[in-house]
Amino acid sequence: MSARQMKLGLFLWATGHHIAAWRHPDAYVRAGIDIDHYIKLAQTAEAAKFDMVFCEDAAGLREANVNIASQTSRSIGFEPISLLAALAAQTERIGLVSTASTSYNEPYGLARMFASLDNLSGGRAGWNLVTSASPIEAANFGATGLRPHADRYARAREFATVVASLWNRHAAGHTGESFSVRDPLDIPPSPQGTPVMVQAGASEDGKDLAARTADVVFSAAQTFGEAKAFYDDLKGRLVAYGRQPDDVKIMPGVAPIVAATKAEAQAKYDALQELIPDDVGVALLSSYLSISDLGRYPIDGPLPELPESEGMKSRQALVIEQARRDGLSIRELARYFAGARGHWRVVGTAEEIADELQARFEGGAADGFNVMPSWFPGELDAFVTLVMPELQRRGLFRKDYEGRTLREHLGLKRPI
Amino acid sequence: MHLAISLNIAAKNGQDVLSFDQIVAFVRKMEAAGFDMVFISDSLASGEPSTSPFEATTLLAALATVTGSIGLVAGASTLAHQPYNLARRFASLDIISHGRVGWNATMRQNPREAAKFSQPEGFGDEDFRRRAEEYIGIVRGLWQGWEADALLFDKAGGRFHDPGRMHFLDHKGEFFSVRGPLNVARSPQDMPVLVMSSLSESQFDFAASFADVIVLDDVSPADAKSTGDDLRRLAATSGRRPSALKVLAASLTGPGLTTDSLDRWLTTPGFDGINFTLPADIPTTLDFTDRVLPELRRRGLTRSANAGATLREHLGLGMGGAE
Repeated sequence: MSARQMKLGLFLWATGHHIAAWRHPDAYVRAGIDIDHYIKLAQTAEAAKFDMVFCEDAAGLREANVNIASQTSRSIGFEPISLLAALAAQTERIGLVSTASTSYNEPYGLARMFASLDNLSGGRAGWNLVTSASPIEAANFGATGLRPHADRYARAREFATVVASLWNRHAAGHTGESFSVRDPLDIPPSPQGTPVMVQAGASEDGKDLAARTADVVFSAAQTFGEAKAFYDDLKGRLVAYGRQPDDVKIMPGVAPIVAATKAEAQAKYDALQELIPDDVGVALLSSYLSISDLGRYPIDGPLPELPESEGMKSRQALVIEQARRDGLSIRELARYFAGARGHWRVVGTAEEIADELQARFEGGAADGFNVMPSWFPGELDAFVTLVMPELQRRGLFRKDYEGRTLREHLGLKRPI
Repeated sequence: MHLAISLNIAAKNGQDVLSFDQIVAFVRKMEAAGFDMVFISDSLASGEPSTSPFEATTLLAALATVTGSIGLVAGASTLAHQPYNLARRFASLDIISHGRVGWNATMRQNPREAAKFSQPEGFGDEDFRRRAEEYIGIVRGLWQGWEADALLFDKAGGRFHDPGRMHFLDHKGEFFSVRGPLNVARSPQDMPVLVMSSLSESQFDFAASFADVIVLDDVSPADAKSTGDDLRRLAATSGRRPSALKVLAASLTGPGLTTDSLDRWLTTPGFDGINFTLPADIPTTLDFTDRVLPELRRRGLTRSANAGATLREHLGLGMGGAE
């Protein structure tokens, strides 16, 4: 295998990534309470040779308004580290990546958990570092308010440094601004030594932390231009930390809807969009913009001027730019956004979707993609049976695993 | 007579540890012998440096997918996890295992642990006790945040759950404030089984009021009986049914467990079962399966199958929130 091939992650999310996925007739509605559903998804992904499955996480409800929350399937689900440990025993090759927060964990506990997952899985674990931007989560951890953005990142930097030195058996003993750890890790070195480090923050602080510590970066980009700009920006930051461009794999999210014809795919998408209640769409948009009262504005009017928030700075800019560019009303933006949560939506045939992925991959805007099926299991099955064989035919994706560990799948060096 | 096996997968530095496959093989033998549950702990109570390839809750998740009926109980410390995270982890494990999970809350502070978790001074005994009690109250409260019939799955009506059957905890206490609710559905056994171990006498009242299972460590059969009687009396005083609390006595195995001492344990009335405590090394696990297990079988104490589907059913406990 000489030609560069794309990396593919499967982003797991209970009933599916579309906000109304759970209402789809073919979506499995009990996904959040059925481990067998997840085992089957992971085994499907492994048979298709995905590099990894990925679980997003928040330590709290996703939505503050209980009425809105009850119209989505996102208030309940598995805690991801236990979920992935269960999947480790039911799969053999696929990488297992879980999100965990630097705001609501301690480095020693987290280092221990992921080392255990790496041991259980024979070297397939990865940690997606998040700093947690939601005040709903903060209220579950004794905090009276969200920490300011810069403070969260200072804590995250220290957290990541301590975790890395615990994994690497560097001299024991850390006393810093946020943490102190007296003893070395009591788990023997795991097969990867250092589980794969993933990040998704797209703010300046987030990109710098990723350039310093991440092996994989998940991103959200609608257009080729946005994807390319992010890719070049992040890769450009690596040199300051003594790293090579290929040391970090950038994998934007993609939410495909595939069918035998373009019209059929579009009809699938339209039917799904129809299932989004207006108040749910607007609430989801509000929460991404980190404001609570978007519902006060006329739903058919434009997005109002918004102050910069302490939450997701970079996501906010992305959404606002989208609305201005396309002249969208709140309703239109909410629906469009709710479908893929700010990620890139591609609707078409297998060839068309493969063309789009290939263009970004070969155009220097992505090293691979984090695939976000709109509903499970149907749209995963469609991607696996239609799009992946097309990518393989073009030599863009592996036909079998080359290695054993997630680091090997991703072609990553073992960090020093 | 309930039977439990306690497997401490931590080994002193340099000693051999069991592989995942070896642990699975052992737990399956216990399952086949009708043991109610296996306790997994992953650190040495003394706080001595140890190694174990696995952390207990993650190991439990993996074990849940390769076993079918045995109860699975993990030790997890109130210092190592935030209460919200721990409640979530065990609620999730209970769904993964189809209702076979318990949390073993150690009521004694491991001397080196706090210093690993940014608490270099640790907690005084009294503070640790009050903190642990508040912590356990939060975890129990979070486990009850979703009513059993809260999930509606109503696709046509667009209502996934009934918001009136989801409850905020709104806990504000001395050590923690936790809003809730948990973002994991109600446990298949209502609440995971709550085990308390390493109790001091000052904690008996609390434990007798809230524990489903109490494990008495380091006691003789006679002491276990009198302590068990005390605990049951306290449980009755707090208004619980006699069957709501199970008291297990711990018995160390290995060559030290002779047929005579086994008989002494088995013929002393007054506790509900025995928890055989094993370090996780191959000779000890082999000694247990090859020597002790046949003795238990000869006495008619093993079963060909477990009593029910969930751990609560094995133990004859009521549903967690039902008392």
